[in-house]
Amino acid sequence: MRRIPVTKRPDLARAAAEHGLQFHADSGIPGWDESAYYQFTMGQVEADLEAPAEEIERLCFDVVARAVADEAVLRRLGIAEPFWDYIADSWRNKEKNFYGRMDLSYDGEGPAKLLEYNADTPTTLYESAVFQWEWLEQSVESGLIPRGCDQLNDLHESLVRTFPLLGIEGLAHFACNQDIEDDKGTLDYLEECASEAGLETRFLAMDDIGINDRGHFTDLDDRAIGTLIKLYPWEWIMTEEFGRHVPASGVRFIEPPWKAILSNKGLLPMLWEMFEGHPNLLPAYFEGDPGAAALGNTYVRKPLVSRQGANIEIVQDSKTLFCSDGPYGGDDHILQGFHPLPEFDGNYPLVGCWLVASKAVGLCIREDRSLVTGTDARFIPHIILD
Amino acid sequence: MKERAMKRWSSIPIVLLTSVSLIGLTGCEEPRVEAAVFENLAQCLDDTNMSRGECEQNYKEAQSQHAAVAPKYTSQADCQADFGAGKCEEAPYRTSSGGSVFMPLMMGYMMGSMIGGRRSMMSQPLYRSAKNPTVFRTANNRNVGASTGRTQVAKSATSRPTFKSSTIKRGGFGASARRFGSAAT
Repeated sequence: MRRIPVTKRPDLARAAAEHGLQFHADSGIPGWDESAYYQFTMGQVEADLEAPAEEIERLCFDVVARAVADEAVLRRLGIAEPFWDYIADSWRNKEKNFYGRMDLSYDGEGPAKLLEYNADTPTTLYESAVFQWEWLEQSVESGLIPRGCDQLNDLHESLVRTFPLLGIEGLAHFACNQDIEDDKGTLDYLEECASEAGLETRFLAMDDIGINDRGHFTDLDDRAIGTLIKLYPWEWIMTEEFGRHVPASGVRFIEPPWKAILSNKGLLPMLWEMFEGHPNLLPAYFEGDPGAAALGNTYVRKPLVSRQGANIEIVQDSKTLFCSDGPYGGDDHILQGFHPLPEFDGNYPLVGCWLVASKAVGLCIREDRSLVTGTDARFIPHIILD
Repeated sequence: MKERAMKRWSSIPIVLLTSVSLIGLTGCEEPRVEAAVFENLAQCLDDTNMSRGECEQNYKEAQSQHAAVAPKYTSQADCQADFGAGKCEEAPYRTSSGGSVFMPLMMGYMMGSMIGGRRSMMSQPLYRSAKNPTVFRTANNRNVGASTGRTQVAKSATSRPTFKSSTIKRGGFGASARRFGSAAT
């Protein structure tokens, strides 16, 4: 695995404009860095990233099956009791999962280690599927990168191919917090894919969703919502005012309710408990579990539900090595073994493997200048070259 | 409760109106079927092609659906803005918080033509919008033209109208986003 500096495309401003991305004359596209790329071999991608990601997904399904049958697990995950049956039913009824992104620490040599699974609301989808592919094509054409290189990127085709297989009938509503560009960008792209696949779609902001006297959720035209593809976390929905109406609303959600078990970092100690010693897993425990002593004085402390690298504390030899800010500190925590991200010229890449319908179809690498990948992280493109 | 402008019923048909007129322009005709449209029971009874039994039975059938399928509003002003002054009535139920619900008056009804002794489609109530009062519209806002008596209408306009219910509250999602920001992971 190599990090190779490269010349940026001279017409980056135009590319940004074409794709509806911001561009600043001095710093380029926020969150995007094409001054370098990562290079993998096909063997590395297939054996060290794709296969493990798909296998970890299967292990995760075993965790869900266990959790829905054991209240103690749901309680441990901090999921409120009124949703236990609803979540269990969604699993037993085999409600389909659509997409997710596994974040892995990988240096090209040892097995990739799961840091967390973004199973509910992963973003940077557009950059992963479209923008980094166009970077590759244009950079090859301009001779900036070698001919014959490839990318793990079947994202667009997979999304479009999978939408019709979900069995959605009639109008599909798409909702997110429309004030956040990151969220809206990913959701807009999902909606485009759905539309391309022939689905009838309609966007609305999460806070525009209404409820009618029959207990159905409605859009701004008062139409009952039958299918909702949401870029909005289950753990937020479950605590909000309309959350209590969700189980009886008759809405089919994507991602389905059982994904709430996987987007929770409590997944990590559950995986370790059930599959201790698996090469792609790091040891992990719920904070307060005496078993956590196995980690010794070096570990990473994470809230059960946090995002974008917020509220992460890295403890080394009992001293705080690194601590990130955030609003999630009040929640229960897990402790995970410390497996530092590899360093390339002062940059720490986090490898994200995209799954669509449980198949590994994309890679997204985000780099930060620190060991915790936060909101300053930049998307770096990758190529595969043997 | 958050202040939200309710989308006007008339704002929905902009797309439908365009697509209906485009169908005519490009000559790509949607299949049309025979139907009979009347403003009221009396008009049907006056039509020599219709039997008393047919008129009454179909009128009853349309009326029985009216309260369920008519567009609903929690404000009489909003309803009248779409259907005209004096053209709205209270729905026969209240919201779960006890508020009134309004709907347009039933302004006509449509039934299928007799085919082999059977009606080709169920009868359904019709309405007229304030913006375009000459034409009849179904409860699902399909334009079935201005003619009364036996007529031809687009086949898709004869599909069974859907249940309409009014939104009683909005904004019950979103509080966490205001607190935490992005949902991104």
